[in-house]
Amino acid sequence: MHKISANRKRLLTFILLGWALLLIGDRVGEFRQYQGSFVAMYALAIASIILLTGYSGQLSLGHSALMAVGAYAGALSINNLHLHPVIALIIAALVAGIFGLILGIAAARLSGPYLAGTTLALAISLPTIANQFTILGGEQGVAFDIGTPPARYGEDFSQYKWFFWISSLAALIMIWMVANLMHSKFGRVFIALRDNQTAAQLAGINVGRQKAVAFGLSAGVAGLAGGLLVMLISGVSPSAFPLSLSFSLLTGAVVTGVYDLKGVMLGGLVLVAIPEIADSVGSRVGGSDGFTIALPGFLVSALLILAVLFLPNGPGKLLKKKM
Amino acid sequence: MIRNTRMKRISIVSAVAVAGAMVLSTLPAQAADPGLTSTEIKLGLSSPQTGLAAASYGKLPKAMKAYFDYINANGGVYGRKIKLVARDDRYLPQQAATQTTKLVLEDEVFALVGALGTATHTKAYAAAQLAKKNVPDLFVNSGFSKFGDKTKYPTTFMILPSYAMEAKIISKFIADTPTLRPQASFLIAQDDEFGEDGVKGFVLGGHKFTAPATLYPQGGLSSALAEGALTSLGKLPGNPVLVLMGTTDTTATILKAAEKLDLTTKFNWIVGSVGGDATTLKALGVKSTTIDGIKAASFFPDAKDTTDEYVKQFMIINTKYNKGVAFDNVVLQGMNSAMLTVQALRAAGKNLTRTGLIKAIEDKGSTFASAGLTSLNYSATSRVGYNGYWFGQLNAQGELKPYGGTRKIYTTDSTTVDVPVPLPDTYKRKPIPKNGIPTN
Repeated sequence: MHKISANRKRLLTFILLGWALLLIGDRVGEFRQYQGSFVAMYALAIASIILLTGYSGQLSLGHSALMAVGAYAGALSINNLHLHPVIALIIAALVAGIFGLILGIAAARLSGPYLAGTTLALAISLPTIANQFTILGGEQGVAFDIGTPPARYGEDFSQYKWFFWISSLAALIMIWMVANLMHSKFGRVFIALRDNQTAAQLAGINVGRQKAVAFGLSAGVAGLAGGLLVMLISGVSPSAFPLSLSFSLLTGAVVTGVYDLKGVMLGGLVLVAIPEIADSVGSRVGGSDGFTIALPGFLVSALLILAVLFLPNGPGKLLKKKM
Repeated sequence: MIRNTRMKRISIVSAVAVAGAMVLSTLPAQAADPGLTSTEIKLGLSSPQTGLAAASYGKLPKAMKAYFDYINANGGVYGRKIKLVARDDRYLPQQAATQTTKLVLEDEVFALVGALGTATHTKAYAAAQLAKKNVPDLFVNSGFSKFGDKTKYPTTFMILPSYAMEAKIISKFIADTPTLRPQASFLIAQDDEFGEDGVKGFVLGGHKFTAPATLYPQGGLSSALAEGALTSLGKLPGNPVLVLMGTTDTTATILKAAEKLDLTTKFNWIVGSVGGDATTLKALGVKSTTIDGIKAASFFPDAKDTTDEYVKQFMIINTKYNKGVAFDNVVLQGMNSAMLTVQALRAAGKNLTRTGLIKAIEDKGSTFASAGLTSLNYSATSRVGYNGYWFGQLNAQGELKPYGGTRKIYTTDSTTVDVPVPLPDTYKRKPIPKNGIPTN
């Protein structure tokens, strides 16, 4: 009997997933389509963290800044160069990737808390720097308008469905590419770096170069997620990429299982659901402003503790075990 | 045979008529706009309820809700009760975009009212597709002049005069005031459309500051930055004029920095209308002695002026429906916007539609009763609310008293270099409806 290769099986899975998303997109209302777009965007951003932290063993607290780089590149491509939104999103990924590669070269000598500190500084300082350049639009930023859906889809085809299609498709293609990469020579090299740098070096791996490559690839994925985020909120501005976004993504990655890409959609879902749950609990329970502000953070913390206690390797691994 | 044929014809005609009637009866009546039932009108508001800006504007949704509760207790609008769904955007553009989208898609509100902030609402307007969905965007609390551009914001009605208008009128005030005219002058403003519009207005008003404006990111003025800016300005001779165009929390940060550096009396402070609420400044820890003497622009009566009929009535409503909340400019503004909303809904008639509401404000908005001391300028071509200011001086009790003893209101526009002109003496503000309940 002919056995399907792992690569084909993965491709088939992604095609089926895409088909399922297409059907879901047709059957839910505009609000769920909008939320679904955010889930896809967050899933992509979490995948970028998993690629860097889970596979190559480098900890970044500055992924919101890398997303911002991609977002600004995409917005400027549309506004200043009048490029097609799809090309703008590709540019978002490329520019963030190049930025990440340069950052990765600089940070190759760092690891652990030193790397975390450096990327944290980046997340704090980059939005402030963006304020200093007129071309980046100051505090109000730059509009990111992808325009209306193509007329051939009909008048009933809403903007939110269009967002959902773009986000889902971009996330699926990119995550499929990352999954393939992780099952290739690159993936094995990254895992070797993560598990034992000295052994990897002795095996002939150029540790510094591979670390920079991992950083660049992760930044590229984050840049695309940044482009999608500002598409959903119609514009990029420094305040769209607060430090808290980096922490949220890390939370999503931990909940997902930081060594596995299988649960990224769940991570995205959690990040979208937490504010909703906090909103709902806050309005039912009532309480002071302090309680309302603290509730999402509390839920995130509780979820993190539960994930570490009961699903340290993420739901993906659990699924694998049962199978 | 004939009979049979006739019968057959009658039967066919009857069958067609019955089938037609059945088909027609199953067709829906013209679908009502979202957020409307026979008993309720659902309105939405996205504004900061938590975070730094909430210290200044957190009272807005409560004030609007209090007024709507009062109207509901008095029969609502043509029998429909008003329900206000208020969402917290923390004064962050991304949050404003998602919260406004939720108001439209999830809460399915009929219209938005009183949205607050410039950078926030520009993003929210686009993300929530307000133009495409024809969602009325009423009485936006921002002075960004582009919100008055009907082609870009076809469903929006501003309420504040633009920041450009305010800057032009401040320019005239400085030029007309002998103690201010010879002094060096500086501008500290928020770095978004807010500050940009202000800077443009000063250029149009012909005022040249001694140095380029100090701009800070929205929500990003720390005490250290404020102290740094004031330390260098404090070394200048004389009593420089310092114009602050920002939110009340940043005004408080700057004034507290001046207190720390012992520079409160060094400057001639001029505070823009958005950032000059004395009650909030005090609540944020600014001393009464610092507030005493600050010059501030306003288009409203002073919120402490109990001789004003609007203030008096809104205070009564506030006491009953907004218990425990101190009455200040923000509460006054919230209730005023709510009262305008009720008039707009009434003007749109019993068969309320989104298009009808927009048309009603275009046609009749300029005749609505309101607490503002200048006229409303709504028409088929104008989405601008108030277009004038008066200057006052705050005393230690936080009361804004007319500068020079007489209240002089100046009006202007946002785009020309025309000098602001005083409001004609013949202008009379429309009296408040009986018990504050519109009957238009």
